[in-house]
Amino acid sequence: MVSSPRKFILFILLPLAVMTLMVMPWIGQHLPGWDVLFRPGAEDLDAIIFWKIRVPRVLLAMFAGMGLSLGGVVFQAIFRNPLATPFTLGVAGGASLGVTLAIFLGLNLTILGVSGVSLAALVGAMGSITIVYGIARATSNVSPNTMLLGGVAISFFFSSLILLLQYLGDMSDSFRIIHWLMGDLSRASAEAIFQILPFIVSGILITGFLYRELNLLSIHDDLAGSCGLHVEKMRIILFLAVSLMIAGIVTVCGPIGFVGIMAPHICRLIVGANHRNLIPAAILFGGVFLTLCDTLARTIATSAEVPVGIITAILGGPFFLWLLFKKARSHG
Amino acid sequence: MNDSRDIAIEINELSLSIGQRRLLDGVTLHAEAGERIAIVGPNGAGKTTLLRLLLGLIPSERGRIKLGGSALTSLSRREVARLIGYVPQQLADDIPFTVIEFIVMSRYAHAQSGGIIPRDREGEKIARQSTERVGIRHLENQTMATLSGGERQKVNIAAALAQQTPILVLDEPSAHLDPKQRESIQRLLSEIGRKSNTTVLTVTHDLNWAAMDFDRIIGMAHGRVLADDTPSRVVTPENLLAIFDANWTIQAHPQSGCPMVLPTHHTPAR
Repeated sequence: MVSSPRKFILFILLPLAVMTLMVMPWIGQHLPGWDVLFRPGAEDLDAIIFWKIRVPRVLLAMFAGMGLSLGGVVFQAIFRNPLATPFTLGVAGGASLGVTLAIFLGLNLTILGVSGVSLAALVGAMGSITIVYGIARATSNVSPNTMLLGGVAISFFFSSLILLLQYLGDMSDSFRIIHWLMGDLSRASAEAIFQILPFIVSGILITGFLYRELNLLSIHDDLAGSCGLHVEKMRIILFLAVSLMIAGIVTVCGPIGFVGIMAPHICRLIVGANHRNLIPAAILFGGVFLTLCDTLARTIATSAEVPVGIITAILGGPFFLWLLFKKARSHG
Repeated sequence: MNDSRDIAIEINELSLSIGQRRLLDGVTLHAEAGERIAIVGPNGAGKTTLLRLLLGLIPSERGRIKLGGSALTSLSRREVARLIGYVPQQLADDIPFTVIEFIVMSRYAHAQSGGIIPRDREGEKIARQSTERVGIRHLENQTMATLSGGERQKVNIAAALAQQTPILVLDEPSAHLDPKQRESIQRLLSEIGRKSNTTVLTVTHDLNWAAMDFDRIIGMAHGRVLADDTPSRVVTPENLLAIFDANWTIQAHPQSGCPMVLPTHHTPAR
């Protein structure tokens, strides 16, 4: 852990995020001329590649990474479980089932500029949030373990339904479903940015105001209650706020795994577990991490783009094992 | 009975069942301001349940609780936290916060919500006064996970003190500690209670500490109060048989004269 987390956030992570935003749009097979900076609305190839493809994509990766990482921080705190992410609780599973159903049934409608696939993802995610919330309310004490187990059970149930639909569908439907399930930022556009921005901003504001509550929830329910916190109510508020934020992200980007688990754990090692520092650190680090992963995803192969979910998972898998070994060693 | 302003805790006919099991059965007790009370009894007697009800963490089925003259049901969680400081049994040993962060957190009921990610400077000042009082100033910047059991329990006590409450409730504060650390925690709690006129209500299995250091002992078994009086009147062979179903020897302490419980001698089988 660094001696001054605030300085680390202000003087290392913040400049790193700004630099990532400034440099990454220039990276790719085609290098636009620097004067493209002054022609944001132009219709030439350089301007289109820079302003309509790369800048939205880098911004989308940055915002999605911020939200996914923040989601991990909050879920690990409210469930006091280092492996909890919003995906563990079925949000991604619900969204994926919605998309699979939309593709399987051939829904091609567009409402208010939002595609049928995105809408299906949102409806699916909201459905799974409602089910987990229902489980939490049905059990009198809103126990973290009941919610986690309920969410995991729903995820498995949805995964099985997705597999069944894939099995029943034709080759091209299956390919579209698999591609969506891998998580991918190639749908980036100005509209996509404006679609997820309200979710991310409200998620950041709510958790930023509730950092003391997150600290208390991450220790012990009775202790938190004795300090004046309404434990059950706060757990539900944070669960719903973060799940909605994640639903917004998944709707546009698909289920991009491992950011929500890697970024919070790395940040905890660097700035400590106090959410006053951990929240801003994880937001910035998550944004930078996903942007770098996505840049790698779109430049690593010359023939086609690799879905970013594959890159985050390839990096995330070994990290996960390292985390488990480290934990096992520290507990003797 | 004194004037009601002097009553810190008033519990009347409190009952709670979970399923078929009766956890508390018509518990009545009063604590005057500044009084030191120990609750003793076997495991499963309902002691911890009583504390959780008192803190408003679980609702009761029947009966009522008043804190400082106000009904518990009329108080918000934050108001209760400004009246009662709580020291739980040992917490998990891998709490990832520093000592000072942990103590500042306990002041949640006093903290002002002022904008996004504000720093609680007032809370930090009061947290430092608490560490000074408990004698752990030197541990302030250490992570909780690096502390010994006794040190962690001192941090818990400092955190409860930082809540600046007139009542302190403790759940087996010296359990799981070696004899030296246990004595150190008990001495600390004795000094704190007497210096600050704080009402102290503690659950303990240490009958000798209860007899030596408290104004009153409440003996509980099967969710009921079986004895509630001064230590010399509660620590008797008859009461201990009723509460613990055990025949123990009682002798007067050679210096203070207060009753001490000795384990029954039994010859090992050959």
